[in-house]
Amino acid sequence: MFFIPGPIIAFVTFPGVIVHEAGHLFFCKLFKLQVYDVCFFRFGNPAGYVVHEKSENFTAMFFVSMGPFFANTLLCVLFCSAAFLPIWELKVEDPIAYFYYWLGLSIGMHAFPSTVDLSNLWAAAPDLARRGNVLAIVSLPIAAVLYVLNLARFVWADLGYGIAVGILGPIALFRALAR
Amino acid sequence: MRQGTCCECELTTSIRSFYGFNGRTYCEPCVWKASREAKEKGEPSEYVSLTDNSVCARCGVSSGETSEHPLVGKLPLCATCAPQVANWPYPVWLKASLAALMILLAFALMHGRKYFHAGRTMYIGERLVEESHYAEALPFLQETLRIAPQSDKAVLLTAKAALKSGDIESANQAFQGHSGGHFEDGNDSDFLEVKSIWDRAIAAAEKADKAEKLGREEGHAAEAAQLMHEAATSYPEAPGLAAYAEYFDEGAAFERKDYDTFLSIAQKLWKNHPDAQTSATVSSAFACKYAVTGEIAYRKQAEEMLRSAEQQTQGNAEAGKSYQEYAERIHYRLDTRQIIDKPEYDRKFRSGQSKK
Repeated sequence: MFFIPGPIIAFVTFPGVIVHEAGHLFFCKLFKLQVYDVCFFRFGNPAGYVVHEKSENFTAMFFVSMGPFFANTLLCVLFCSAAFLPIWELKVEDPIAYFYYWLGLSIGMHAFPSTVDLSNLWAAAPDLARRGNVLAIVSLPIAAVLYVLNLARFVWADLGYGIAVGILGPIALFRALAR
Repeated sequence: MRQGTCCECELTTSIRSFYGFNGRTYCEPCVWKASREAKEKGEPSEYVSLTDNSVCARCGVSSGETSEHPLVGKLPLCATCAPQVANWPYPVWLKASLAALMILLAFALMHGRKYFHAGRTMYIGERLVEESHYAEALPFLQETLRIAPQSDKAVLLTAKAALKSGDIESANQAFQGHSGGHFEDGNDSDFLEVKSIWDRAIAAAEKADKAEKLGREEGHAAEAAQLMHEAATSYPEAPGLAAYAEYFDEGAAFERKDYDTFLSIAQKLWKNHPDAQTSATVSSAFACKYAVTGEIAYRKQAEEMLRSAEQQTQGNAEAGKSYQEYAERIHYRLDTRQIIDKPEYDRKFRSGQSKK
C-alpha cells in the first residue's frame, strides 16, 4: 500500500469534492437549515465542508448526511456507464471515455459521508429505530458499513468504492437492460 | 465587544473567551479545573461557551457597546450574515459547473449510445450462448463486432457461437478482425475453450476437403465417405458435414453397385432437402434399379422424378445446366439399361464436345 498525501488526491479528484459539498448544501437548503459556512474545495483536510445548524429532524439529518453519498454514487454510475463499455468490455480506444471514467471515479470516491456526519446519525438513529422509524432502521446498517469504510480510507477504501461502483454498477445496469 | 472576568483567576478579556458553569463565568483553564472537580464529586460537569451578542458569530463584526445583533437560531448574526445563513446562495460558478456537469452527462450518454447498443447486443449474445442458443446468438454478437472488433470477449463469444453452430467462416472473420487472431492472454479459459473447438473444426474441414477431392476421383467414393464420416463425427456441430457424409455414402453405394442402398439414401436426402439435385439423384437411383431388374415401375418412377427435377430448375440457369447434364445420362441408362458412371459416359459420348 502506498501513501499519497490527501490534498494531492483531493486535487486530482476535485470534481467529487465539489459535488459532495454541493449535495450537503442542497439538502441543507431543502430542509431549511441554517448554513454558517461553506467551502467547496481547498488544499487542506477536509478538502471541503459545509457548517450547518444541527437539526432535530431525523429525516433532515439523514438526507443532509447521506444525500451526497447517494448523489455521488448515482453520478458515478452514470458517468462510468458511458465509459465502462468502451474501456472494459469493447476495448475501443476512445479518449473521451477515459475522461468520463476519471470524472465518474472522482465523484464516486468522494461519496462517503464524513465520520462526524455518520456519528451524528449513529447517535440519533437507535432511539428512533426502537420507536419504528423506518429511515432510522435503514440508516443504522448503512451508517455502520460506511463508518468502517470511512476509517479504511487509508487503505484506499474510497477509491475501491468508486471503482466497484464504476464497474459493478454499469455491469448490473447493462445486464438488466439486456434481459 | 463585551468584556468578562473569570470568577477564579480574575482574568479580564472578551466574553467570547469565557465559559458558563453553574451560573458563574470562567476562563478556559479554570473551567476545566472546576468541571473536573465537579465530576470527581459526582456533580454535573457540563459547561457552555459564552456568546457575545454584540459580535456577529460568523464574520465577527461588532454592533457597538450598547446594541446586540439579533439571534438567528442560537447565534447572533449581523444584518449581512443573517440572510445568507438563513438561505445560503449557490455561487454562480457552482451553478455553471453543475449545469456543465449535466451537459457533460447528457453528452456522455449520447456519445455512448453506440457502445450501449454494442454492449446490449453482446450481453444478449452472451446470455444466448450460455443458454446454448448459438445460432440465435451469432447475429447479436456480429453486431457487437461491427462496433468493437478488438473486444476479446465479443470475438471469443462470436467465434464460439459460430463454431458451435457449424459456421467456421464467421468464426474466422471474427478472428481476422481481431489483430489477425492474436490474443494477449493465451491462457485465458474462454480463449482455450474456443481454440479447442476451432482446432477440432479446422481438422474436420481439412478432412472434408480431402474427402471432396477424393470423391471427384474414380474408385475412391468409399474412402471419401469414410473421411467425411470422420469429419462429421469429430465436428458434429456442423450438420452439413453429416449430410455430406450421406451424400458420399450414396456415391459409395453406387460405386459398389448396391443400388438398393443408393436408392434408400437418395430418397432420404430428397425428403430432407427436396430440390432439383436430390430429385435427379432419386431418378438416377430408380433408373439403376430399372436397368438391373427391368421392372417398368422403376422406369416410371425415374421419369416422374426427372420431371419433378426439371420443374424445380425453372428460373435457375445454373441448376438448369446441371440438370441437363444429369438428365442426358439418366435417359441413356433408361434407354439402354446400361449403368455407367459420369467419367465413362464423358469418355464415350462427350470427348468430342470437350475437344471443341
